[in-house]
Amino acid sequence: MKYHLVTLGCQMNKSDGERIASVIEAMGYSWTDSEENAELLGIVACSVRQKAIDRVYTRINKWNSWKNKKNLVTFVTGCVLPDDRDKFLKLFDLVFQISELHLLPEMLRTYGVVTPFSLGKEINIHDKPENPAELQPDFQTLVFDRGKKTIAGQPVQMKKPEKRITDFWNVKPAYQSAFEAYVPIQNGCDKFCTFCAVPYTRGREISRPSREIIDEVKSLVSKNYKSVTLLGQNVNSYGKDKKGDEISFASLLEEIGKIGEETEKEFWVYFTSPHPRDMSDEVFQVISKYKCLAKQIHIPMQSGDDKVLIRMNRNHNMNDYRRIIESIKKYLPSATVFTDIIVGFTGETDEQFENTRKALEEFRFNMAYIARYSPRPGAASSRWDDDISHTVKSNRLHNLSALLQQHSLLHNRSMIGNTYKVLVTGRDRKDEFWTGLTEGRIIVRFASEKNNLAGSFVDVTITSAAEFSTEGKLVKIYSEELTEA
Amino acid sequence: MKQLHKNKKSKYSILKATDKLNFDISTLKTEKIFQVTKIKNLTGSAYILQFKRNGIEFVAGQHITLGLPGDNQIREYSIYSPTGIPFFEVLIKEVDEGLVSRKLHRVKAGDILKFDGPFGFFTLDENSLKKQKYLFIATGTGIAPFHSMAGSYPELDYKILHGVRYASEAYEKNYYPKDRYVLCTSRDTKGDFQGRVTDYLSFHGVDSDTLVYLCGNCDMIYEVYDLLISGGFNADHIKTEVYF
Repeated sequence: MKYHLVTLGCQMNKSDGERIASVIEAMGYSWTDSEENAELLGIVACSVRQKAIDRVYTRINKWNSWKNKKNLVTFVTGCVLPDDRDKFLKLFDLVFQISELHLLPEMLRTYGVVTPFSLGKEINIHDKPENPAELQPDFQTLVFDRGKKTIAGQPVQMKKPEKRITDFWNVKPAYQSAFEAYVPIQNGCDKFCTFCAVPYTRGREISRPSREIIDEVKSLVSKNYKSVTLLGQNVNSYGKDKKGDEISFASLLEEIGKIGEETEKEFWVYFTSPHPRDMSDEVFQVISKYKCLAKQIHIPMQSGDDKVLIRMNRNHNMNDYRRIIESIKKYLPSATVFTDIIVGFTGETDEQFENTRKALEEFRFNMAYIARYSPRPGAASSRWDDDISHTVKSNRLHNLSALLQQHSLLHNRSMIGNTYKVLVTGRDRKDEFWTGLTEGRIIVRFASEKNNLAGSFVDVTITSAAEFSTEGKLVKIYSEELTEA
Repeated sequence: MKQLHKNKKSKYSILKATDKLNFDISTLKTEKIFQVTKIKNLTGSAYILQFKRNGIEFVAGQHITLGLPGDNQIREYSIYSPTGIPFFEVLIKEVDEGLVSRKLHRVKAGDILKFDGPFGFFTLDENSLKKQKYLFIATGTGIAPFHSMAGSYPELDYKILHGVRYASEAYEKNYYPKDRYVLCTSRDTKGDFQGRVTDYLSFHGVDSDTLVYLCGNCDMIYEVYDLLISGGFNADHIKTEVYF
C-alpha cells in the first residue's frame, strides 16, 4: 500500500509531516512520489495565506476525480480554520487536528482499510508506551459533537488539549533528511496578532516537556545530525505556559548547548520563530557561550512603524525591537539576522511604509521574508478593510526587496577572501557544484568532483558574491578524520 | 465518563453511534465552558455577561475568548470584573453586523458558552503599582480592562478618560471615585468634559512620568498616540490594546 503526503506552509508543518509519515508507515504503508500511485493521500494544510488554502481545494478536487477509478482515502490536517474545516469535511474522507494524529490508525480501521493495525496487530508509533490511565477523558470539560459525526459507532475518548499534543510530540518522526532535523518544542500561540489566524488554528501555547526535547536532540546528535532547528509559533515563550514548572527558553538552549560540549560533536542548533515581546538578553548570552548554538537569529519585525505595530497588536514598539538588535550585536557580533515583514497591512500609509523602509536601512538584515498582506478569515484583521491596493502592495514589496538585495550583496561581498565552515545541503543546479549553508545560513556554492558531500561540513574560501548567495573554493572536507580537499 | 452532546429531548445525552463513514474528529474537540449566571443590560446595545470563575486565575487587563458552543465564530473580550470576586464579567456592545455580539445578547442565565483564556499582556507591573501614576484612556467598551484594574488594585493612582458620544454610554461610572473618572462626551454636554479625549488631552496635557494605557478603537489610539508623541512623550510609556 502506498501513501503520498503534501505538506504546505512552514517548517512547523514539515515537522508535523515527519510525524504523520511515521504513523502512516507504522501501519504498513510505504511512500510514493506519485500521487496517482497512492491509496492514501493526505495534506498538511496551511492557513497563513489564501493561496495555500486554494492549493488544498485544487488538490482534493483532483483526487476526488480519481475516486471512480480506484480505492482512495484522503485526509487533511494541519492549520485549518473552523470555516475551512467545515468545507473540507465535505471533500475529504478524514479531517483531524494534528494533535489527534495518534487516532489516525483507528480512523482508517473504521474506514475499512485493512492494515496490520486493523487486523489487531499492535503498532508502536510512540517513543514510550501509552499509559492507559491517561486515556481517560477530561472531566473538567464537556464534549460537544454539534450533532454531526463521530468515529462510527464509538464514542471518542478525549484528552485535554495539552495531553493530546504531548501524545503527538511523542510520535517518532520519520526525518526527511539524514543530517537536518526539525524538533518541535512548542505549539500554538497566545499573542493574537491581528493579522494571524494561528491562535484559531493551532490553539493555545503549550510547551513540550524539556526532557523530551533534550532527549530528541541528543538522539539526533548521536546519529550525526548536523543541523537541528527548534520549532514553535513562539519559541522564546517556551515554558511560560507552565508557570514555573518548566525551564525557560534560555535554559533550554543552555541544556542543548551542553550536549554540544559533552559530545564534542559538530552541529548547529537554530530556532524559529521567536516573538520580540518575549526576547531576552539572556537568550543571546547563552547562545554566545556554546559553539553548537548557531549565530543566526530570526527575529520578525513585521513593520517598522509603531502605529502599524499597534494595529497588528504586536505588543512591542520599535524602541523594543531596536534594543533587541543592539543586544544581538553586543553578544553575537558575528550573527546574521533574518526577519519577517508584512507590507500593505490594513491602513498602512505611505509614511508608515517609509518607516519600515528606514528600519530596513537601519538594521541591514541578511535576509527578510517580505509578504504582501492578505487577510485570513478568522484573523481579527479580516474584519477590517483590506484597503491597500494590490499594486501598492507590490510596489512596496519590490521596494523593500531591492533594498534587501543591496544589503545582502554588501554583506556577501564582505565575505570574499574569508574561509567559512559550510554544511553541504545538496547538489547545485550547476554541474559538479554543491550548495550549502554557513552557520549564518548564507548560501555557498562550490565545485567538487566528490559525489558524497551532502551532510558534510566543509571549509570554503569565498571567491565571489551575489545578492543572496556566494561562491567559493573548497579547501577542506570534515569527516571522521579531517581530510584536505 | 459519558460523552455528551445536545439533542432535542434533553440538553445533553450520551453520544449515539452513527453509521456515517466520514467524520471530523475535530468537531468533537473539548471546549472549555462557562455557564452564564447573570446578564446586566446597561444600554439598549451594551450589556454585561457574568459567569462563575471556576477557580480560573487572571490578571486585570487580560481578555478571554467567547463564543457559542458548536459555533466557529469566537471573539476576544477584556475581562471587566476585578480579580477579587468569584465571577468573570465581560462588557459587550452589540454590533449591527456582529456575528458574535448579537448572538451573545440573546443568551440567558443558565446558558453555556465556550471560552478560552485568559490571555494578553495589557496589564500593570504589580511591582511598581504604588509609585506609578497611570492615565487610562478608553473609548466605549474599551473601558473594560480599566474597570478591572481599578477594582483589582485599590491603591492604584489612576485617572480614567472615557470617550463616548453620549453620556448615557458611561457604563457604571459611579464605580469609580469622582476624582478619578472623566467622562468626555462628543455629542452632548452631559459629561464631565464636552469633546473627545484628544481635546481633553490637548487642554490638560499629560505628566511625563505617567504611564498611559490606551484601549478602544484604533482611530482614537492613533490620534492620542500622535498627540502624545508630537508633544515629546516617551513612546515606551504608552501601552495599547486595539479593539476589533
